Amino acid sequence: MPQTPSIALENITVTYHEKVALHGINITLPAGTIVGLVGMNGSGKSTLLKTIVGLITPTTGRVWIAGLPIQQAQKRGWVAYMPQSEQVDWQFPVSVQDVVMMGRYGSMNWLRIPRPIDRHIVEMSLRQVDMLPLKDRQIGELSGGQKKRTFLARVLAQQAHILLLDEPFNGVDVNTERAMIQLLMRLRDAGHTILVSSHDLSAISTVCDQIILINQTILAYGATSEVFTPENLNRTFGMPLPGMMS
Amino acid sequence: MSDASLVHQRLALMWDWLIAPLQYEFMVKALLVSGFVGVVCGVLSCYMTLKGWALMGDAVAHAVTPGVVLAYVFHVPLAVGAFVFGVGSVWLMGWIQKQTRLKEDVVIGLVFTGLFALGLVLISKTPSNVDFLHILFGNVLGIPTAAMVQTLVIGTLTLAVLLLLKNDLLLLCFDPTHARSIGINTTGLHYLLLTLLSLTIVVALQTVGVVLVVAMLITPGATAYLLTDRFDRMLLLAVGSGLVASGLGVYVSYYWDAATGGCIVLVQTLLFLLAMIWAPKHGLFRRVGRSG
Repeated sequence: MPQTPSIALENITVTYHEKVALHGINITLPAGTIVGLVGMNGSGKSTLLKTIVGLITPTTGRVWIAGLPIQQAQKRGWVAYMPQSEQVDWQFPVSVQDVVMMGRYGSMNWLRIPRPIDRHIVEMSLRQVDMLPLKDRQIGELSGGQKKRTFLARVLAQQAHILLLDEPFNGVDVNTERAMIQLLMRLRDAGHTILVSSHDLSAISTVCDQIILINQTILAYGATSEVFTPENLNRTFGMPLPGMMS
Repeated sequence: MSDASLVHQRLALMWDWLIAPLQYEFMVKALLVSGFVGVVCGVLSCYMTLKGWALMGDAVAHAVTPGVVLAYVFHVPLAVGAFVFGVGSVWLMGWIQKQTRLKEDVVIGLVFTGLFALGLVLISKTPSNVDFLHILFGNVLGIPTAAMVQTLVIGTLTLAVLLLLKNDLLLLCFDPTHARSIGINTTGLHYLLLTLLSLTIVVALQTVGVVLVVAMLITPGATAYLLTDRFDRMLLLAVGSGLVASGLGVYVSYYWDAATGGCIVLVQTLLFLLAMIWAPKHGLFRRVGRSG
């Protein structure tokens, strides 16, 4: 790793079938922070995360990861992405351990045969999210929180410096949420840059150092306490959210 | 007569039933080829089942028909013609889908019936001493040695690629988004899987023919999917059921003097029904027991 990784987005625009999903995104995120990406459903949160990890090619603009174009950062395994759990086929015949091992594929050779180091990292990742006892379960037999933990373990197993998490707190129990928040803070303290999307403000205001408010474009960006003002939230969600402002 | 000698007599009868047909070379060949095709199709069927590509498999199988006839007319190996039309049909489906606003299954239906119709017309207009009905319904009992060698070579190649890239193909089925996010070329893998599908169809044509090939491509996988929640076990079970169905199907066809392809697929379907009823976790008995 030549320098401390961070994300730089340069004038990003994404259009789907002539419909604008994102426009005019210009932002640089410092390393070693947890940044919350907050907006309504359909505000472009997932699109932005997918653009950063290279799943969507922006119509205009460029993504830089630690000074490198995204394709090169991808090959070096610098960025790990956790999808929303709605996109997963939970009937698929794979175990918790199989899923986490998929996080190691990027650093294996083309035959994808796990080395001892890969098994070790998978075990460590499972232990970090407290899923080691359930490693042989088929993924459909897990609770909502356990499913999230499994996919978080896969992200950990990638050992990337930048973690992009799409709605990680959606549908999880209180214990899982608390454990995830603690884990994310430990990762941040170890120097990782973490971008977390959410439309739920309670968890995100606890864990995030900085917040991006988004609705197709960036409405506000800054320290959590400065960004969460009634006017900003009103602009983001189209209504005041008094309950969230404690 | 004692019980022991009765059992002995029964076993001897069964042994005869199994051994007697093997004195004919055509039966040995048929068992070898069908069993091999059962193995190759068994492996591929796991990916087809998990990816939901039943219709795609049926479509490509029908679409190769004109390729086989044209290959005969121009004196190139039938497998080459089948392969070109198999891959070509996939490309054509993708192209039409991009140009129009039609849904995927509609495009698949359009392309494969169009190409199959072309195949039928070509068959009816081609004077030949080859019975093209063999393409439609298979002819494993009369398979020529050249075709057998071709089947074994292409099948071995397909099987090798399927097994070497097992994990990447599994990831393509399970989570293509993750695959792309770690820099795996999913478009390339997608077309590789379609190519392997075309090759497997070429391999299976000799045994069951165009019309029933799709059963070989999904039934063993579907049966195995009901029996286990582990991919490696699913592969083994699919291969096992493919092998058993092929072997048993050939014997049944021999003793009943019935269509071989049909017999093989019937045995496969029977195995599927057994799995559907008695599967340990996903079977009907178990589900009724749980809800009752």
